Amino acid sequence: MKLPKIRELLEAVKALVVGPYTSRFPRKPHVPFKSFRGQPQFNEDFCVGCLACEEVCPAGAIGHNDAVSGGKAVRTIYHYTDTCIFCGECEAACIADHKGIKLSTEWDLAFFDRNRAFESIDRDLVTCERCGAVVAARRHLQWITDRLGELAFSSPTLYQTKLKELGLIDDNPAAVHRENARSDRLKTLCAHCRRQTTAGA
Amino acid sequence: MNRQAVLKSLSSRFQGDILDVFDKSPRRVFMEIKPSAVVPIARYVFRDLGARFNIATGTDMRTHMEILYHFTFEEIDLLVSLRVKLSAQKPEIESLTPISEAFNWIEREMAELLGINFRGHPEMKRLLLSKAWPEKVHPLRRDYKEWDKNAVRNRGLT
Amino acid sequence: MKKTIIPIGPYHPLQEEPEYFTLTVDGETVVDIDAEIGYNHRGIEKLSELKNFDQSTFVIERICGICSTSHPYAYVRALEDIAGVEVPPRARYIRTIIAEGERLHSHLLWLGLAGHFLGYNTVYMWAWKLREEILDVMEIVSGNRNNYAMFRPGGVRRDINPDDIPIVLKKIKKIVPTLTMLHKAVRDDPVLHARTKGIGVLTKEESINFSALGPTSRASGVARDVRKDTVYGAYHEMDWKMIVTENGDVFDKVVVRMLEMLETIKILQYCFTHLPAGPIDSGLKGIPAGEGIGTHEAPRGETFHYVRSDGTNRPVRHKVRAPTFMNLPTYKATVKGSQLADAVIILAAIDPCYCCTERMAIRDPGGKRLFDGRELVALSQRKSKLVQEQLGIRELPLDALGQVAP
Repeated sequence: MKLPKIRELLEAVKALVVGPYTSRFPRKPHVPFKSFRGQPQFNEDFCVGCLACEEVCPAGAIGHNDAVSGGKAVRTIYHYTDTCIFCGECEAACIADHKGIKLSTEWDLAFFDRNRAFESIDRDLVTCERCGAVVAARRHLQWITDRLGELAFSSPTLYQTKLKELGLIDDNPAAVHRENARSDRLKTLCAHCRRQTTAGA
Repeated sequence: MNRQAVLKSLSSRFQGDILDVFDKSPRRVFMEIKPSAVVPIARYVFRDLGARFNIATGTDMRTHMEILYHFTFEEIDLLVSLRVKLSAQKPEIESLTPISEAFNWIEREMAELLGINFRGHPEMKRLLLSKAWPEKVHPLRRDYKEWDKNAVRNRGLT
Repeated sequence: MKKTIIPIGPYHPLQEEPEYFTLTVDGETVVDIDAEIGYNHRGIEKLSELKNFDQSTFVIERICGICSTSHPYAYVRALEDIAGVEVPPRARYIRTIIAEGERLHSHLLWLGLAGHFLGYNTVYMWAWKLREEILDVMEIVSGNRNNYAMFRPGGVRRDINPDDIPIVLKKIKKIVPTLTMLHKAVRDDPVLHARTKGIGVLTKEESINFSALGPTSRASGVARDVRKDTVYGAYHEMDWKMIVTENGDVFDKVVVRMLEMLETIKILQYCFTHLPAGPIDSGLKGIPAGEGIGTHEAPRGETFHYVRSDGTNRPVRHKVRAPTFMNLPTYKATVKGSQLADAVIILAAIDPCYCCTERMAIRDPGGKRLFDGRELVALSQRKSKLVQEQLGIRELPLDALGQVAP
């Protein structure tokens, strides 16, 4: 029984020389592999605020809040780090070329206070000029306009958002018109009001 | 024994008890049987034909309660599912635990999650649900309503 | 006759998921055993009915931390059974890689803990050190050590970067010599023979009766492996052996798992070197109405998923059956009549998943005595020492050496 032990002894000596597998973490920073799936991060430049990520998130880690106050409407999208499961579905579903929210290799996500375990992004909203309801995020409408091309000029909501972005108009031209029966048609409207003004119900 | 022989021996032996055979694919066969005949058929499939019992799955179909007993014939790569339909109001069926220990836990599970009564089960007690769970509340039934008033389900956002 | 009742659990280092065993002992012999489960019942079947088919993949991935791919694999196969789609070859290979990598690390984890219970802490450390290599492989391939999030109905979500393959193959190759050494060490260690041979025997008849699965049944001489029985993944495109042994005791269960790891390495190497080109997704859009059954050979046995769809984007019923559900009741046949010090390793031999928390109470009819779960492990370790002394083996310096290193 002595002989077979030699190979185990060899392994033991090897273990002694090679050392532990684990890294000396707190003293040496840990660098994850390139493909590591870490915290998803919003990208200020690309996110259009469409909420596709919220729709697909299997864990419900993405939520939003639309705040309308003083004529200014802002959508805040939250990503809860503690609920997130790092599956990458948000990145896969992102309409902005998968760049609006992207998984990083950030792994150090410990918090002392769970309520602070989130990150957020603010997007401007376009509101309905008739009822004040939220239509969509401004950049989302611009994104749709870009995709539609000239077809976007069939919808005042879309082309006015785009023209404003280009600086060609500074306010809704229809709004300065006298309020009459047809001026509704040229306003930026939510889906409900658009139906009402068009169908005349 | 090949696929045809298995199906043929079943249909000839239990002619009156097999209500419907749905040949889904080369590897899947669904067989609807009478609830009263579940013990002899299951015994025959498990003991005599030597199939392996995968599991049973109970489903509340609103109009009726349904149990599927899945058996695998490993050599011929065939999965036979025996379907029994029970009444929605008072689902009740003979227990298969006397045939084999393998049926024991899943029957206990179905009894508490779906409220199916297994007649003749030797140790009918809770398997999964905690002691704090109220009696006669079966979570997998379609009419299940949340009973826990203190449960928090969202973070206050839409 | 005075009988003592010993509860194991709900939290105990043997069990990944909390389970509660009540052992009735007469002296040192176990005369009866009963189990209570459900401490970890999270209502996943109900939850799955509330999520759409795509999201459910992630929910059921979290049924188990160790076999986090077995459940999605069986689930997507159930959906593909309903929809009747063919998975592209590259996706099949990637799926096989993920599933086999998981088997490898799961078996290594089990081997380490089994060594720990028997008092071989060196095995524990070495096995877990090997496991790190394979977990790194999984991180390179999928982006995470566990919960790979690779499966999608009809394909996989991420592709394997061809640049990573040489690194991965090097890491896998590094495991082989140590694993072979460990296997040989298990094969001719006299103490291990004394502790595990003839202990907790599950006979072939009992195994069939309980419908036991995976290594638990294969150790009892029942050749039962979904990878061989059904055509799926890439398993039928390469040459590998199904490991079957005859005795059904703890030793055989160790041997089956050890040899299976070497087979798994073969499969992994084949898959990485023969990875076919092509798409990774069949573009399945929507699940038609119908019923589907999906199975997969998880590290512990067959995982079974039954999904019923009514044509909407959510399942009407999703039944999940984990292999331990069928394997665990075999304790009724194996633990009875064994010694208390052996009960731990017999329960561990079916690999009922593990839990890090430990807490156990030993209770005798008179009063209640609560103490730490280490006690039972210590009891098992003490027995190994005793066997060593009886066999005339002195404590080898090996153990001390091995423990310094990690």
